[in-house]
Amino acid sequence: MADNYSITLDIKRYDPDTKKTWFQSYKLDAGRILRFVDLFRRINNEQDPSLAWGSSCEHGQCGSCAVRVNGKPLLACELLVENAVKDFGTTKFRVEPISIAPVVRDLVVDLEKAYEKVHRAKPYLIKRAPLPPQSSYYQLSPKEIERYEDATRCINCFSCADACISSHKNFIGPNAAMASIVRLMDPREEEKEERLKLLYSEEGIYRCHSSKACSFVCPKEIDVAHFIALAKEGAFRGDNGE
Amino acid sequence: MNATCNKNRLEASILSGLAKIPFVSGYARTYGWNYVLSWCHRITGIILVLYLWFHLYTLSSLHTPEVYNWKMGIMFMPVIVFFAWLSSIPVIFHALNGGRLILYESFGSRNDESMIRWTLYLCFIYVVILGILIFMENQTVSAVFFWLVMIVASLAAACGVAARVWKSRHTIFWKLQRITGAFLLIAIPAHLLFSHLNPSIAMEADLVIARMQNWFIKIVDVLLALSTLYHAGYGLFSIAEDYIKLRISRVVISGVIVIVSVIFLVVALKIVFTI
Repeated sequence: MADNYSITLDIKRYDPDTKKTWFQSYKLDAGRILRFVDLFRRINNEQDPSLAWGSSCEHGQCGSCAVRVNGKPLLACELLVENAVKDFGTTKFRVEPISIAPVVRDLVVDLEKAYEKVHRAKPYLIKRAPLPPQSSYYQLSPKEIERYEDATRCINCFSCADACISSHKNFIGPNAAMASIVRLMDPREEEKEERLKLLYSEEGIYRCHSSKACSFVCPKEIDVAHFIALAKEGAFRGDNGE
Repeated sequence: MNATCNKNRLEASILSGLAKIPFVSGYARTYGWNYVLSWCHRITGIILVLYLWFHLYTLSSLHTPEVYNWKMGIMFMPVIVFFAWLSSIPVIFHALNGGRLILYESFGSRNDESMIRWTLYLCFIYVVILGILIFMENQTVSAVFFWLVMIVASLAAACGVAARVWKSRHTIFWKLQRITGAFLLIAIPAHLLFSHLNPSIAMEADLVIARMQNWFIKIVDVLLALSTLYHAGYGLFSIAEDYIKLRISRVVISGVIVIVSVIFLVVALKIVFTI
């Protein structure tokens, strides 16, 4: 394993003032454990301060640095140079913004727009079940939590939505659908009907074709397709004629 | 961790054979083999819809035994037979992969590695068996017996899926797509198999007319026409719903799909009931 790599990043640029889109090539000598966000920062410091990109936590917890590298949506803060070279078998990378929302500038997309779908899925308990008698908290058994614990690790990076075969034109998206499904599985949620209406609507699970690209690209390794398939199977209260 | 393990095992078993196809393996590395198979399912679906329409149009133009015999003379030329054999690849792939998706979505089967492997193995076995039968050209089987067995099997598959999805909250259209899918999973590969058991089964107009005048065969043909045209129409509708943003455009496209499907259904019923 080399200590240093000569990396070429072909980054898709977009200037909102002129509405022009182009690819710009940047060459860097990079250490093997540098992450792609580090490469972007180095480009800003050493070559081109005008390159716009987004990040926040840079620890794989906020999802704001999601980009496409050689076509694959992933978190730039989790992608090490040595892993990128190994996985893609090249030192030349095409970096593009993810396609789930309009591009604001270069690699930055309008996350507010992307989040509109997640907000529609109401990723919170709409109507809480009453607390058990003489108790000030809910108690969930490990068995209950185990069913949907994986799905709660979703950070809404939209990598799954970017990879989805059904495009993002009419589908609410794998992450938003899963956000609703998690609450359907949560025994503390009483408002099942509203959630089922969304899932069984035109923009719901009918747009999912089980291509499982969502599960494959998920940086948190959540089997997103499994949760959507549960909804198709009718695994929740009220969606199987009960 | 489990998801990663399954992913690696799946890649190990399938990539070894298919990774040599550069375009396909690139997509597989980026989005996974399920994604590649889903695109193949979609593409083969569109090919089969076009083929179905072409098939019905061609049959409808065969007005007299003379025209039929002349046309079949062309259809059974070795080059055309070779292409007919090749056309079985999209048919059996679409059928078996559809079965895999039904198992995944409605029966909770999550063993992707095994299901994808079996889909590909069974495709290969079917194509080889069909090739051998085409090459032999000498199998004789009663049409009523063959279709009795196949229709019972097809209906059993359709009833199994119907029992599973009928009470769910899905729309009736989605349910019918799965039910017709299960029916066609057996019926269409059987239709292809029957056509190639012996050239005389399909080649001689008199034999074909005698077979199609049988009431049971008429029921089989009507079931095939109804289920293929519905399945094709909903498949196209589903693709249109994915990619067309404007609601009015989606409504117009859906209307066109319904009209075209009804026209071809009328054509099919005319063929069945005028013989």
